[in-house]
Amino acid sequence: MRKGLFGVSLVVAIVAVSMWSAPFDAQTPAAGAQPGARGGRDGAVGDQGGGRAGRGGRGGRGAAPAGPSKPTPRWPDGRVNLSQVPGVKGFWNVMTGSPIAPAGLPGNLTLDQVPFQDWSRALYEYRRQRGGLDDPHVRCQPAGGMRFFTVPNGMEFIDQPELQRIFILDGENRDWRRIAMEPGRKHPSEDDLIPSYFGDSIGHWEGDTLVVDTVGFNEKFWFIRGGLPHTRFMHLIERFTRINFDTLRYQVTIDDKGAYTRPWSGGWDIPWQYTNYDGSPGGEIHEYFCIDNERDAQHFAGR
Amino acid sequence: MLRAGLLVTCIAVSAQEGHPLVGSWHGDRGTGPKNRTDVTLIMDWDGTQITGVVNPGFESMKLQNARLTPKDWSVHFELDSKDAAGKVARCMVDGKIDRLGSDQRTLTGTWLCGNVKQDFKLTRDRDYSH
Repeated sequence: MRKGLFGVSLVVAIVAVSMWSAPFDAQTPAAGAQPGARGGRDGAVGDQGGGRAGRGGRGGRGAAPAGPSKPTPRWPDGRVNLSQVPGVKGFWNVMTGSPIAPAGLPGNLTLDQVPFQDWSRALYEYRRQRGGLDDPHVRCQPAGGMRFFTVPNGMEFIDQPELQRIFILDGENRDWRRIAMEPGRKHPSEDDLIPSYFGDSIGHWEGDTLVVDTVGFNEKFWFIRGGLPHTRFMHLIERFTRINFDTLRYQVTIDDKGAYTRPWSGGWDIPWQYTNYDGSPGGEIHEYFCIDNERDAQHFAGR
Repeated sequence: MLRAGLLVTCIAVSAQEGHPLVGSWHGDRGTGPKNRTDVTLIMDWDGTQITGVVNPGFESMKLQNARLTPKDWSVHFELDSKDAAGKVARCMVDGKIDRLGSDQRTLTGTWLCGNVKQDFKLTRDRDYSH
């Protein structure tokens, strides 16, 4: 029995270390503001993990200009530009982020304040105790929901106003989301929705903020690292505000009657990265596919 | 080699990561190893209530008073079952979820219909859907 427990503990420890090289760091504020933040596939263990400073290189801000950030860039028609500008390469370093205090934005709820249903709180605690052993993402499942903005390897927006759509490209597994920007567009009816990792997204601008409304998620993923549960009823309202050149503020409202007793909100800041992901000059997202370097499965003896 | 093959199979499919009871479950019940009856159980969660049916089809039985106790992951539901003579008996089913984080979690316990007490074991089906 003791040997069995030791084995499980060892497996949990190995998996935790191999999946997330950054430790749980609940004291780290403002996830997106950590120069040199680095993690495994997901930045840090636990939903309160806000990343960690140090190491530099991979995942670092890389050659960010000294002094205050430049102002928010705009397209010639005045709309906010959420991506690169001519002559300045880079991308959003989405490696870390959490909607739960003390990480992220000052108004984030603490874990005790999250309005879990009884089963979802218990399941979340179970997942935490297992150290992420059951996390679908470490078996290369897509990072759906807001987790899209916490996985490493960079993210950028492709704005196509003439086609009334915005794509969000994620370097992690080269995932992408399509935001329909057609005025008056509605989501498909519940019967016509095909549950998916990224859902059906409709966006519009409220001033300088891109607001994205998404429904139609499947239940095959953890929508944030650490394993906050969700159900097929999850409805996300995401707000993207480029508050200056170097900072994208991400705010999200989670409305899921299947897992929470009421809607709740949180957010974090995402920093702009001027270099390649490994710190070398360039500022371009490189290719990364989880399945090419999958080494975790051999440790999944506890499942 | 067999273990490696099983492992590949395990990582190629997806778990159902939402409410732990949702989905289809298969297994059997009976009074002993040589006296088993196949069971299919479909369960769903609408945010407030667990619903479901045993053995969907002409002889399906609707779940009643279904509940999950997250503290110990125990499950209770009731259903009305007809015996060979067509007499309706109330069945009380009590079980517990094991391997909660697995894509093939299990539900085991007792299946009491009238005076007949059986054990049961169900395994949640893997999710090959979208």
